[in-house]
Amino acid sequence: MAELREKAQLMSAQDLNRVIRRIANEIVEQNKGTDNMMLVGIHRRGVYLARRIQKIIEEVEGVKVPCGELDITLYRDDLTTLFEQPMVHSTRMPQDISGKKVFLVDDVLYTGRTVRAALEALVDLGRPAQVQLAVIIDRGHRELPIHADICGKNVPTSKNEVIEVRVSELDGKDEVVICERDA
Amino acid sequence: MSAMPSEAGQMVWRHKSVIDLDTWTKEELYFLLDQARHMENVMDRPIKKVPVLRGKMCVNLFFENSTRTRVSFELAEKMLSADVVNWSVSGSSTAKGETMRDTAWTLEAMGADIVVMRHGAVGAPQYLASKLKRAIVLNAGDGTHAHPTQALLDLYTAWKHLGPLEGKKIALIGDVLHSRVARSDVIGFKTIGCDVVLSGPPTMMPRDVEALGCKYERDPRKAVEGAEMVYLLRIQRERQQDGLFPSVDEYHTWWGADEDLMSYAKPGALAMHPGPINRGVEIASEVADGHQSVILEQVRSGVAIRMALLYLCGGGAR
Amino acid sequence: MGKILFSGFKIFNGTEFLKDDSLLVEDEKVVKIGSGLTCSDAELVEGGGKILSPGFIDLHAHFRDPGGEWNEDISSGANAGAAGGFTTLVAMPNTKPAISEPSLVEYVLSHGKAAKASRILPAGCVSKDREGKEMAELLKMAEAGAVFFTDDGAPVATSNLLRLALLYTGKDEPRIMEHPEEVSLFKGGQVHEGRVSALSGLKGIPVASEEIDVARGIALTRETGGRIHFTHISSKGALGLIRQAKKEGLDVTCDTTFHHLTLNENAVINSGYNSRYKVNPPLRSAGDQAALWEGLQDGTINAIVTDHAPWHMDEKDEPFQEAPFGIASLECAVAVLLDYKEKNYPNIPLELLLTKMTSSPASLLPEKWQTLGRLDEGSFADITIIDKERTRIVDCQTWKSKARCCPWEGIALTAWPVATYVEGRKIWEDDEEL
Repeated sequence: MAELREKAQLMSAQDLNRVIRRIANEIVEQNKGTDNMMLVGIHRRGVYLARRIQKIIEEVEGVKVPCGELDITLYRDDLTTLFEQPMVHSTRMPQDISGKKVFLVDDVLYTGRTVRAALEALVDLGRPAQVQLAVIIDRGHRELPIHADICGKNVPTSKNEVIEVRVSELDGKDEVVICERDA
Repeated sequence: MSAMPSEAGQMVWRHKSVIDLDTWTKEELYFLLDQARHMENVMDRPIKKVPVLRGKMCVNLFFENSTRTRVSFELAEKMLSADVVNWSVSGSSTAKGETMRDTAWTLEAMGADIVVMRHGAVGAPQYLASKLKRAIVLNAGDGTHAHPTQALLDLYTAWKHLGPLEGKKIALIGDVLHSRVARSDVIGFKTIGCDVVLSGPPTMMPRDVEALGCKYERDPRKAVEGAEMVYLLRIQRERQQDGLFPSVDEYHTWWGADEDLMSYAKPGALAMHPGPINRGVEIASEVADGHQSVILEQVRSGVAIRMALLYLCGGGAR
Repeated sequence: MGKILFSGFKIFNGTEFLKDDSLLVEDEKVVKIGSGLTCSDAELVEGGGKILSPGFIDLHAHFRDPGGEWNEDISSGANAGAAGGFTTLVAMPNTKPAISEPSLVEYVLSHGKAAKASRILPAGCVSKDREGKEMAELLKMAEAGAVFFTDDGAPVATSNLLRLALLYTGKDEPRIMEHPEEVSLFKGGQVHEGRVSALSGLKGIPVASEEIDVARGIALTRETGGRIHFTHISSKGALGLIRQAKKEGLDVTCDTTFHHLTLNENAVINSGYNSRYKVNPPLRSAGDQAALWEGLQDGTINAIVTDHAPWHMDEKDEPFQEAPFGIASLECAVAVLLDYKEKNYPNIPLELLLTKMTSSPASLLPEKWQTLGRLDEGSFADITIIDKERTRIVDCQTWKSKARCCPWEGIALTAWPVATYVEGRKIWEDDEEL
């Protein structure tokens, strides 16, 4: 596999946290409060981002909205073309998602295939009243008719580039960087 | 180690066909157990199905009757959305007038991706795998040799109850000589770091027990002493006609698991059995139905572990 | 046929290497052995330092003819033998029908001659139709040309029958060759009882099966004053019994096989239970294997045999437990042994192994054939040429035998027979070797 070379920092820890805070506010605003709402983070970084959003909403609104985690490995559409099977993570919902207004949370929106898989996975778990999508970065290059309802930042990229959203829980620090694949 | 997650969400899974556990590492065993945990969650959902093996054709090729194992594999395959064909052949391949080479080529011509095979002859799945160019073979039991998915589900069940298994003592009691379950369990539990002690009539033990890396105690109480899991092997009544033990009653009195025998184990030790159980032979009802028994849980574990194995070995490109 | 002059060879005469480097053959006989011989009207074969040995003698081969010709027939077997460096092969009588009457002995002899390859000498059964009940017409078969009596494939069924046969044949008739096995211990067995049976679950054949039958044979030989030859000895224990009987002065001899000397049970395990390693007696422990090499060195073992047991792929290429017993090896056995010796026992003299394939087995044949296996002036010009430097990969697909698999398929071995002569006539030559 080609090596990844870090090209530039797009967001510092402070920037990233500001964006997360804004997204949390927008979610509450669009939902007109926290009634019947549920956050669902997509493995792996989406899970940590969703938990932070949950915390911010709790601080601001005084309500702890339910927050689930979703692993989409078993729903990916590229498994038959991969030689190695990706590791499966847990899917956990604190309550039944049926009838809920679900906010899917992920780090980067790119081709849209992860979100498609997540939608399919969600549907197998129940019948939400509504599903919306919140991401930190939208980097374009969509291959499916999917868009983010709430987006931290639009970043035009080339296909040769990779956006990495780093969260301290997994990566030791918060930041967003853009990397390039060496040929 | 080769099966450690190499980075977030990635790993190098090297097993394709699974004939036995001889070459598995401890890390690979734990990795599979971890994946089985997530598969077990799927079993609890309202829609017990994920699309991961959509479009893959699984053939359950059974030369011996085994409804339990076949149904367990079939459920696992269906929960992963594979297409499932059950192909049952009674008797050996030669009895039905087709060599196994021809069977292999027929399967491939039909487009099989995964062949789950149960056969009465040692080496049959290995042989089939050697003749298939594309499809993989998962051994569902070959003669007296190996039954890897049984060992994996036993490991999974024990691990869920006992936590990390390193250094724990387990006792396996019964007809080790003719038991593929025993052979695979010994290898699985030894690899993961357990201390495995065998017991049973000396006529039902391999002469070279050391080759298995286990200690043998004729007295089952010594084998069970301090054990955290007691595994009872099924006794085939035909073995009595072969003269390997004089009577079922004598067997049960000496080696059958009752509350008295279990009292030598560590408090809270598990009682396990591959099923179907012979009450009053290798296991007394008081143990089979008692609080220490996890026999039904083993059945559930079987589906989860087979899902994990099908996913890791049977998915992906080839 | 004329004259052939072999010049520039290392000549082994059946017991030792000679100083002489040339040998003159006229018609079917060796007429002169010397150094720097010349002969203007002889075809010249230059050795370039290769070994010239008496043709190898295999006391134990199965040709499935009559009754199983799709697996092997006498002609394919005789040609396979020639291509393996064997000039004399003893055909086992467990065919269908079994060779247990003089006309069938003649059948084997005449088909052997017609093959125009290695010399085929028939063994006859001890019992009529190999049923283990009554003695077959042993004297008539001996007269027709049988060189051993054996119910091989199985032991002589009862102690009484073996006793009678030993008494009846005495010291003057062909030897009784016993397949040592205690049938009730063998029943259903697949592999050696030991590590391989423990790991595979395959039913084990304990070494006691061989020891018990050897002990029986020795007791009956002692009591009758007869002669017995135990074939394909595989275990340390049986070898010990034979060693003791020899010390006692009994006329007890034995052979072991090329595969028991070069393989053990670990090969079965490492192959993932591949049927090409399935053989009876089974490949034993490493300790048994080492004991066989000791037995060769101390003289307990008289001969090395192939026990060539060919099967058509449709029969042999099956899962281990369903495949028949038998290793086919005529066309690579010599190289297998010489290559193994060089790698594992470099200090054992080559003469020792060559003796066990030439003069030593010849001495167990009826008197008429005892000069086979020696090269002296006046002896039959049965010759095998060995190139110790030749490296070749075993390729069963090119075999003259009808068997198409063996344990050494695809393996490169060094030290091969490169040409074979029977009675002064070239019957085979390694055609890549020019």
